[in-house]
Amino acid sequence: MKEIRFYYKLIYMHILSAVEYKGWWLMLIHVLFYVLLEPFGTVMMFLRFGSIGTWTMERILLVYALAVTSFGIAKTFLRGFDTFPSKMVRGGDFDRLLLRPKSLFTQTAASTFHLYRLSQPLSGIAIIIWCLIKLDISLTPLNLFVLITALIGGTVTYAGVFVMTSGIAFFTVKAVEWIYVFTNASYQVTRIPHEYIPGILKHVYTFWVPMLVISYYPASAICDWNEPLWTGFLALPAGLVVFGASMFVWRFGIRHYRSTGS
Amino acid sequence: MRKTVRACLSLFRISLAENFQYRTSALSGVVTNLVWCFIEAAAFGVFFKYAVNAGFSGGLTLAQTISYLWVREMLLMLLSYGINDELLTKITNGNVALEMCRPLDLYWHWFSRITAGKVAGFLMRGVICFLIAFLIPGGYGARLPASFSSFLVFLPSVFCAFLLGNAYEMLVTAIRTNTTWGDGPMHMMMLLPKVLSGSVLPLQLLPDFLQLVLLLQPFAGIIDIPARLYIGSMAPSEAWFGMSMQLFWSLTFIILGKWVMSRRLKSIVAQGG
Repeated sequence: MKEIRFYYKLIYMHILSAVEYKGWWLMLIHVLFYVLLEPFGTVMMFLRFGSIGTWTMERILLVYALAVTSFGIAKTFLRGFDTFPSKMVRGGDFDRLLLRPKSLFTQTAASTFHLYRLSQPLSGIAIIIWCLIKLDISLTPLNLFVLITALIGGTVTYAGVFVMTSGIAFFTVKAVEWIYVFTNASYQVTRIPHEYIPGILKHVYTFWVPMLVISYYPASAICDWNEPLWTGFLALPAGLVVFGASMFVWRFGIRHYRSTGS
Repeated sequence: MRKTVRACLSLFRISLAENFQYRTSALSGVVTNLVWCFIEAAAFGVFFKYAVNAGFSGGLTLAQTISYLWVREMLLMLLSYGINDELLTKITNGNVALEMCRPLDLYWHWFSRITAGKVAGFLMRGVICFLIAFLIPGGYGARLPASFSSFLVFLPSVFCAFLLGNAYEMLVTAIRTNTTWGDGPMHMMMLLPKVLSGSVLPLQLLPDFLQLVLLLQPFAGIIDIPARLYIGSMAPSEAWFGMSMQLFWSLTFIILGKWVMSRRLKSIVAQGG
């Protein structure tokens, strides 16, 4: 509880300092544009080429939006881990955090916060709602349960990826660019209809990092596509496994931390 | 004049050597680009399969589109998400005052720094990624240019794209020296080339009635025109048109950038001590 209050205080401080700039609200719009731009290519293709077999635009966008919303929530509230490698490890600022009598996890998570990042989860949720209406899905308690566990599971999964990156950055210092494969690139894969995803990608994004487990399978469970129902409930357990593993890496990294700064 | 050129050239060499240090970083970037573009290529593959079955043919064939994607992945290195990090730090922490003390034209000084940062990224990340892409099987990989003469006009066009990308970034940098507005305007300006250069979708796949406008607007020159020359959807005989568009817009941005910069520097506020 104390940690949450502490986290909130740090975040509040970041918000106050951000709104000092005259053009701060421009960033909100910018991220909104940026976020809408990402699926723009897919939407244009659907408009020009029409549906892919049984896959309509709404179906693709629903799967996509589930992944993007989770990603957006994790990125907004754990932004500190996202910028951690470049900001904290290389600059040596992490030393300062070690001196304070507060949880390292909370301090790192709240070391950066950008209000404008909220554009992403918010627009993601809007797209989910739009798709559900278009696909004519009624929100039964079971569907709602699947939807919410999918989002929580997804958020936890992406949070895990960010934390793991930071843990690895203790050793590599730079060169964590490849992590994009598991963050920004990972939700691009949901733009391909599931049965057409090349085998290797499907394998990586199901078993290595469960991005399809938190997006495609819950969507399938809600809309009754042809996957077994139970696969829709795997999002949360899968997320927790990823998160647990990354906490291990993070702790391991801290124990072996050697300062790079002065 | 000659002194400025010499100083800028040596600055360019220093920054270039510095940027070439980050080899592992570039390597991990290559992996990212390969995965990203592979996913895109697979997505387009599915679309085209169904579109052709439905009797549709867009401005491009599938083979051309996939080739386009890989060329784009290479040229994306010319297009940054924001302005050069180093310069941004200088602007925000007030070191810009220090830069102004140097007996050098600030515009060309920064221009050469930006170029050096990009050349290193382009060669180590973009070109290597592009070469590896030829090895990808299943029709998802890069292909040879449409013809030898396409390749010959592609090269100078990439050079012009470099010039254009940097000239635009310098214009944004000049505007960013107004610190009181923060990052907002800069990011908004950087969005324009994202959409209009063809980095989201090949411009020729956008609706037909927009095509002429899309070709004449400045940002086509950063990715789309070189890529068109490569895949042959713009014939080598029309290359003079594409390249003169690129040069025209580069010149416009350079003049604008210099003008904004000289105005801004008169009333610049250096933050920090």
